[in-house]
Amino acid sequence: MTTTTGEADSHRQKPVRTSLLQQMWASRADYLYVLPAIIVMLIVIAYPIYYTIDLSFYKTPPGLLLKDKIWVGFDNYTAILSSDVVWKVTVNTLVWTFASTVIAFMLGYGAALALHRDFVGRGVIRAILIIPWVISAVAASYVWKWIYHSDFGLIGAVLVQMGILDKPPNFIDRTGSVLPSLIVVNIWREFPFAMIMLTAGLQTVPEQLLRAAKVDGANAWQRFWHVTFPYLGGVSTVTILLLAVANFNSFIIPWLMTGGGPSNASHIWITHIYEIAFGRQRWGIGAAYSVLLFLILMTLGYFYVRALSGAEKKEGP
Amino acid sequence: MLMLKLGGALMRGAVVSTMLTSLVAAPAIAAPPVDLSKWSPEYVRSIAGTETFDTAAECGKVTPLDYKGKLTFWYQGAFEGDPDLLRQYYKDFFVAFRKTYPNIDLQDQALTYNDLLDKFRTALAGNAGPMVVRLQILGGVEFASKGVLQELGPSDVGWTNDDFWPGAMKSVTWQGKTYGVPTNNETMAFIWNADIFKRAGLPDHAPETWDDVVAYSKQIHDKLGIAGYGLVARVNAGNTPYRFMPQLWGYGGGVFDEADASPKLDTIRLNSPESKRALQASYDMYVRDKSVPVSALTNQQADNQPLFLSGQLAMMISHPSDYSVMLDLQKKATGDDAVKAQTTIDNMRYSLIPTGPDGRRAVVFGGSNIHILKPEYVEGGVVDEPAAKAMVCFWTSPEWSLKMAYAGSNPGNLLGFKTEWMKTRLDNIKFLDVTTSMLPYGVPFPALPETPEIMNHIIPDMLQNALTGAMTVDQAAEDAAKKVEALEKGGDGL
Repeated sequence: MTTTTGEADSHRQKPVRTSLLQQMWASRADYLYVLPAIIVMLIVIAYPIYYTIDLSFYKTPPGLLLKDKIWVGFDNYTAILSSDVVWKVTVNTLVWTFASTVIAFMLGYGAALALHRDFVGRGVIRAILIIPWVISAVAASYVWKWIYHSDFGLIGAVLVQMGILDKPPNFIDRTGSVLPSLIVVNIWREFPFAMIMLTAGLQTVPEQLLRAAKVDGANAWQRFWHVTFPYLGGVSTVTILLLAVANFNSFIIPWLMTGGGPSNASHIWITHIYEIAFGRQRWGIGAAYSVLLFLILMTLGYFYVRALSGAEKKEGP
Repeated sequence: MLMLKLGGALMRGAVVSTMLTSLVAAPAIAAPPVDLSKWSPEYVRSIAGTETFDTAAECGKVTPLDYKGKLTFWYQGAFEGDPDLLRQYYKDFFVAFRKTYPNIDLQDQALTYNDLLDKFRTALAGNAGPMVVRLQILGGVEFASKGVLQELGPSDVGWTNDDFWPGAMKSVTWQGKTYGVPTNNETMAFIWNADIFKRAGLPDHAPETWDDVVAYSKQIHDKLGIAGYGLVARVNAGNTPYRFMPQLWGYGGGVFDEADASPKLDTIRLNSPESKRALQASYDMYVRDKSVPVSALTNQQADNQPLFLSGQLAMMISHPSDYSVMLDLQKKATGDDAVKAQTTIDNMRYSLIPTGPDGRRAVVFGGSNIHILKPEYVEGGVVDEPAAKAMVCFWTSPEWSLKMAYAGSNPGNLLGFKTEWMKTRLDNIKFLDVTTSMLPYGVPFPALPETPEIMNHIIPDMLQNALTGAMTVDQAAEDAAKKVEALEKGGDGL
């Protein structure tokens, strides 16, 4: 039997439909390769998440062991959402996260742009600017604590010695200034990360476009706004999201420098959860608090993955 | 030498009154090894070096010296504010234990005061605790009430109840049963710099009352521009309640009635007029007079030590070991700093803790206890009982009970006061007689499982709320009282 060319073509081009199970069976070797990692993930991530969610519905007074916990349903969540202290800590967390993220990003952006041009000593300056990011957060916290010390700190000593002030300023022993002081330390530590991410992004901006824009009479700001900035959109989004997640979860600086004080003025969610769970042994309410934090961070994570997927699609073949 | 006001001690010292009550009620038995009713620096000197003890022989009766076993042990180790001498004794202890019991495989872990409770609680949540733990005095009742600890008393490890301070035995007793053995007990004293007092125009003696402390602190700050009193108000740091509670009790306040002769712990007193007066004194020093370090809200005692040594702080509450710490720090100083440090050391004085306006003197009856856990809470699910008892016996023996408390504390085992090392200690540790004199004024923290949270969080929060102006003194005291009430009713801790 002969067929026309068109019919033969359509026979050849019709896709072979396979079920999901058939597809999975075809990729069975791939699943076997990732199975050990998945098992480890289930044990160290999935089970603790399940346990924490379960624990969040129980009350654990200090006089009882964990195994004698008392079922209270959603009471822990109600207590958290109706607590004045938690709302105060929430405001602290939002200020901490927003200020640290935005300012660290802007400083990192500026540093990346400044170091993108070639000049003598660029490598050395870049290495110096990375130092805050690579040194231990614990060491940095203790050093900054002494720099800020209300009686004998370095900043206070210099200002008094120069006659600018007659006594050292109070950075971390005052409710009004403790959080901004800690934010400065956090920004100091974080901006090199933004600088590195954006420096990598700047490498992808086509040089010929910038030259063409220059030839067309665009000034420096116009070249940045119309050429560089759009190209850095994807990496900027990813950087901001990563910074936001890291800052929301940032424990070391506030805990070591001030322990959340004075008077809860420097508590953020993560330090407050630690104090409630491990300091006061309210495992149930700490778990509920953690679940809420988890939901917020998962939301940020979702946008991060979307941004990453969007960036990959743009770089597609 | 200081003479005790015995009448005052009997009225206010829960330790001595409890001991006397128990002696009157008890049937005729052998007299306790140390006569607490005679307690004075002279008495302590008179019994020092009068008996010898062979630790290996005594503990060999509890666990044979060739016993083969395994032991895991956590303890509060030397802290940043402790002298080098104490660090050496800790090393010597474990060398001696391993030499005495060469066939016990000992795995020990030292933790700081502030980290020990956190880590221990976390480990218990996963049934991964050690077999034996030496906890600060604040912690024992919490874990006894939770059923984590085995019943354990001095008689289980070769000693008797009479060998230990009555107040210390209270701290290991829960619902009539004992769950540990005291290792050491201490009371602190008031330390001051005579040179600073002279330059500030103050008399050559410590302030008699807490109101005097406030006045002296102001005068020192106004005249010399340095901090007067070393206030500490950090949250979740043991130093804070140990230094504030003597003030609170001195003014007649308290969390409950823990400072009374027969406390019932059923009435909250944090918002009483007396407690508010005590808090007001701290407020006056920090806010009104600005005569204490601004960094008090984040300071611990270790932060006060360099200030005191450099002549920037005139008064503080601490252990006799602080004198040794000053000597250690002075060795590391150079040039002008070394000269300043030497001046401070030469002028360092110890006195009794000041009284409240009514003459009430009190201090925290501090120390540590050693406990054995139940198997189900131990990693591996097994407790090597003979090995555990060997460790308990060894640490609470007269010799090691004294040596491990050498510079900063006192032996939990009263027989330790009779050892030759006590005699040496009295000769070498300056001011030990003063802190030892404070023992009868010692008030144990309330023996409740909620006490760690009260002392480490609620009390410091109250201080910080008042001192930062977040609340008035009245509001801060009322807020703290409400928190304690909520805690007693099973509150959520927010």
